[in-house]
Amino acid sequence: MKFYLKLGFILLAFCVVATAILAYVNSVTKPRIDELKRVAAQEAMAKLIPNAEFSDVVIHLPEGASTPDSLVYYIATAKADSTKILGYILSAEKHGYSSNVKTMAAIDTEFKLINIKVIEQAETPGLGANCSSDSFAERFKGLLPEKLLVDKDGGEVKAMTGATITTRAVTNSIRETIAIIRKDIESRANTLPEVEA
Amino acid sequence: MKDKFIVSPAPHLHDRTSIPNVMWNVVIALLPALVFAVYYWGWRSLWLTLLGALSAVLTEALIQKLRKVPITISDGSAFLTGMLLSYNISANSPWWLPVLGAAFAIAVGKQVFGGLGNNPVNPALLGRAFLLASWPSLMTSGDTWIKTLSRPFSQASINGISNLDLIHQNLQTVAPKAYDLVTSATPLKVAQTLRDSSFVNTITSSDSLNSVISNNIFTSLFDLGTLQQLFWGNVGGCIGEVSVFALLLGAAYLLWKNIIEWRIPLFYIGTVFVLTFFLGGIKGTGYSLMLPFFHIFAGGLMLGAFFMATDYTTSPLTKKGRVIYAIGCGLMTVIIRLWGGYPEGVSYSILFMNVMTPLIDKITMPKAFGRIKK
Amino acid sequence: MSFFKELTKGIIKENPTFVIVLGMCPTLATTTSVKNAIGMGIAATFVLICSNIMISLIKNITPDKIRIPVYVVVIAAFVSVVDMAMAAYLPDLHKSLGLFIPLIVVNCIILGRAEAFANKNNVLNSMADGIGMGLGFTLSLSVVATIRELLGNGTWLDMRILPQSYNPMLIAILAPGAFFTLGFLMAAINMLKEKR
Repeated sequence: MKFYLKLGFILLAFCVVATAILAYVNSVTKPRIDELKRVAAQEAMAKLIPNAEFSDVVIHLPEGASTPDSLVYYIATAKADSTKILGYILSAEKHGYSSNVKTMAAIDTEFKLINIKVIEQAETPGLGANCSSDSFAERFKGLLPEKLLVDKDGGEVKAMTGATITTRAVTNSIRETIAIIRKDIESRANTLPEVEA
Repeated sequence: MKDKFIVSPAPHLHDRTSIPNVMWNVVIALLPALVFAVYYWGWRSLWLTLLGALSAVLTEALIQKLRKVPITISDGSAFLTGMLLSYNISANSPWWLPVLGAAFAIAVGKQVFGGLGNNPVNPALLGRAFLLASWPSLMTSGDTWIKTLSRPFSQASINGISNLDLIHQNLQTVAPKAYDLVTSATPLKVAQTLRDSSFVNTITSSDSLNSVISNNIFTSLFDLGTLQQLFWGNVGGCIGEVSVFALLLGAAYLLWKNIIEWRIPLFYIGTVFVLTFFLGGIKGTGYSLMLPFFHIFAGGLMLGAFFMATDYTTSPLTKKGRVIYAIGCGLMTVIIRLWGGYPEGVSYSILFMNVMTPLIDKITMPKAFGRIKK
Repeated sequence: MSFFKELTKGIIKENPTFVIVLGMCPTLATTTSVKNAIGMGIAATFVLICSNIMISLIKNITPDKIRIPVYVVVIAAFVSVVDMAMAAYLPDLHKSLGLFIPLIVVNCIILGRAEAFANKNNVLNSMADGIGMGLGFTLSLSVVATIRELLGNGTWLDMRILPQSYNPMLIAILAPGAFFTLGFLMAAINMLKEKR
């Protein structure tokens, strides 16, 4: 009995030391990592809509079983003129073939897609994983939300060979998110007519 | 292989069944389907079939030479594998598709495991699975099926759907999406797509019109006219799978020659029939005794049930086992067709049950007389 | 002398992938492209060297009965530290290797070498063993990935090798292709060995 207790304590000691080291490293690195992440997100947004400043808007959604209860999108205003709205940036997420595919999309004030960027995915390498390439984003440019369907479903987004499911996840997630924020933007436009000008 | 026929205790009877005899008889039974394929799609389907068979035979000879075992290509088993593989591709395939598929089927599906009688799954189906995973666009895309359907006989219908003109004189202008679907896919693909609400909801902008159009197309899939077209094979599909008539002709020959046994095809097709009667419909179309006929006539079920699921090496030895195996095949086929990502599930269902075969054999093997139950 | 011997044995004679058959999970998962394979190889080599050194250092204070849980704790903690430090101070490197670092925890080469070598040998030899095994691992990953990327995508290290008209054999970069490629390579290696 004493022998096992001793073993247990030695193992405990190893764990405590390991945990302490981890906690220390985490406390040192976390602020830096968060900062880097924030900068990366800003840079990603700036690539989608250049020369703009971003302010975030939080929409509270009615409670549903499968949807999150809030959603954030960004209004992009021109750097030179803060009353001029250039467009909106939204992030959309849906399960693809083997992972959650998270996409950032920029739309103009007519809700037409300016550009997209897949920021998080772990799809099949060589097939679905090609969705983070620029040539994939190219397929979305200039599309209206009504046309945002994979070609097999009757829309105008050309599905990647062997990765229809990934394409569909990206396409549908963006379309659905646009539909949500569109309502919000339009209700704002009604209450705040000066934004239009 | 011969000893595998014997599952009961002595006395044993011996008839003149031999491997070449069985294999070449199956090849003969497959010929009517080839005649129909040439009629519908032209000589290309014959060349592709011969290429597949030739590739299989050469691969077998090459590997047997490498393995330094007797070369047994004259027994017809490799020829049959290559032929069946080619029956599973479209007549518009590039020439190298059956060549690579058949070579893979023989090399990885059969010789790797030690040749005839040792393969765990049907080599031809494994070859097809390989092609489907490697070149999905060539194996499934809509326009591979239809382009060559230009014979006078086939112009009478649009992809076998007989009374489409009656449904909507101007479907092409009212609902181009629905029109594209019925003119460019196989009948099973049409059925699968109509089941998908994200397609149906976007046919036109009107919800009520959408359900009318989709229900009309769906019911026309199993009206008498379409079933007739399916029976003769005047639809989009793979080289050897479309004509139910030709396949039944071949199946009758095999049953008469006592080469295949009735249990596997009957229970396989029967399971699909019963399940699709209850589960095969879409919202708003109700039950119809015609619908299961659509499901057993369409796709590769006839080819699979009579010619592939019955393969000696990969199906169970006992009678009870064969029934379980066939029902399993039917169940998997229906699950894939109705809820899976692919419109057709025959090949994967047979592959799946092939893998189950040793297990089924183990649990259904009769006890030798006098042995004590564990 | 023995330092050099420990260094070279991992590359061919005791190749971790083809001979010892360890680390199959990352071998199958990351060989879809040569770039991924090299990334995984380098990241694993780095962790392997460090964990071998560490295990060799603590081998005298670890009771024999609980050595495996201790190794697991040490390796897991070590991988996490590397992951966090890299993310904070070398963000660019982390971007390209970051995906593989959590995978290293499940790489049994690390635990395998800790158990089979580092807890019996001195620090210097353990380090040599780590370098050699890491190199062997990287090398065999690259070989598997070369075949898969070439057949499945027509490229090598993202450079187009096969002509544009080549219709890629997608199965090569799918999961079954990993098993087929590995199987064929092992068969070829065993055949060569028998001939000798």
